Amino acid sequence: MIRIDGVLVSPGEGGVYGERMLKGYRVWDPYRSKLAALVHSGKAPDLLFGMVVLYLGAANGTTVSHVADYVDTVYAVEYAPRPMQDLLEVARRRKNVVPIFGDATRPSGYASIVESVDLLYQDVAQPDQVGIFMKNAAFLKESGIAVLMLKARSVDVRRDPAEITRETVAALEAGGFLVGHVCRLDPYHRDHAAIVVTRR
Amino acid sequence: MQHYWFGDVSDDGQCVQAPSDIAALASRFRSLHPDMAGLVVLSVDTAIACGWVPDRPEYIRRLRKVCIAIAEEEIATYYAQSDRELLQMVRMLDEMDSVVNLLSERATEWYIVRNPGFSRKYRAITAKKMVARMKGDSSTPLSRVAADIERISATRSALMRDVSSLADRVAPNCSALVGGLVAARLIAKAGGLRELASLPASTVQVIGAENALFTHLRSATPPPKHGIIFQHRRVHNAPKDLRGRVARVLAGKLAIAARIDYFRNEADPEFLESAQARIDGAGADT
Repeated sequence: MIRIDGVLVSPGEGGVYGERMLKGYRVWDPYRSKLAALVHSGKAPDLLFGMVVLYLGAANGTTVSHVADYVDTVYAVEYAPRPMQDLLEVARRRKNVVPIFGDATRPSGYASIVESVDLLYQDVAQPDQVGIFMKNAAFLKESGIAVLMLKARSVDVRRDPAEITRETVAALEAGGFLVGHVCRLDPYHRDHAAIVVTRR
Repeated sequence: MQHYWFGDVSDDGQCVQAPSDIAALASRFRSLHPDMAGLVVLSVDTAIACGWVPDRPEYIRRLRKVCIAIAEEEIATYYAQSDRELLQMVRMLDEMDSVVNLLSERATEWYIVRNPGFSRKYRAITAKKMVARMKGDSSTPLSRVAADIERISATRSALMRDVSSLADRVAPNCSALVGGLVAARLIAKAGGLRELASLPASTVQVIGAENALFTHLRSATPPPKHGIIFQHRRVHNAPKDLRGRVARVLAGKLAIAARIDYFRNEADPEFLESAQARIDGAGADT
């Protein structure tokens, strides 16, 4: 990952969402992107040139555009039509983004087009985030790494986020995954935790 | 046998390519729902071995074309639904309401600076009359602003009628029960007619009372009896101790009405009559 004077950036065509440019690089703001916040914590998996990424919950393609700057191919799955319009615009300009209008809770809907991936990145505002993760882990290579951005408020607004994080970690471990790193995304994103996972 | 977007691959590696034009590939993709349990995850090498593409860049290029075409079509279909525009109209209406209120409050303060002896106390001047009075203050900056506020209010009233008549068409049964405007607000809050039709009656009852509902869930406050449906006369005219019951019955009938609207999209006089009778009955003290 590239940093200029401590500022996280990505190489690529700018002007996607009005991001600042720094010496020709696109500034990747941890307050806007959870993955950037995780990188700031120092425990994010490196985005490498040859990687293939499955990105669940691509939304407006903001973070997707930065990921695409680093890796080989991004399969970006989004379910809602409105953000999909923006994601499509990003995909038209970035030739390594494959936009998929699909439902991450039903991976069989896109199983006929997604290849096996090095990185599974999940950022979905759904209650059953572990279930979605387990289903989509089918696409993850043996040596692959996964990042689960846990939105505790989407799981249950009434419960303590720390408790939900603990439960999620336990569920992942019971599901045959090795939880490498758990980190809260405060102060960049409230009530979010990033969980970095590999296969056992 | 594995079914991929570019073709079918048998277990011994035999491969049958799919037709290559984009429309055919898109419809093939829609029909494919491979079983996740028996899935052999696609490998681009298979597509190359199959002769589908010479290399990876070409593979991604073709896949992107198909995926973009599919997404464009899905988005177009989504926006073609009749309730999409209604949603925006309702939100615009609410936005205009608050804008008109904000502007007229600010303008009133301004008017008072220019007319130090003026006070609204004991004069029962509505916001509308107030704006008219400011407009009369000939050709000052304030009067120009007041004229604009009046214009926005007029546009707002026209929009309200449009919302109501569109709701009559999109959701005839809901509109017949609670009026076009309230029906439109319910649909907007739920996020669409399909969404409203899939909500349980208990949720329909408290749509629009989210603050009260979540305060109730967090602490020991009583649960809300009604949300948007309070605007229905049977609910707000009911004596306080019966309001909960009326709201509950109305919400129950609305939930059914929304389903009829979504699945049949035509008024059902028989249902409406019995529902109306039931709602009227709930308000009668027994």
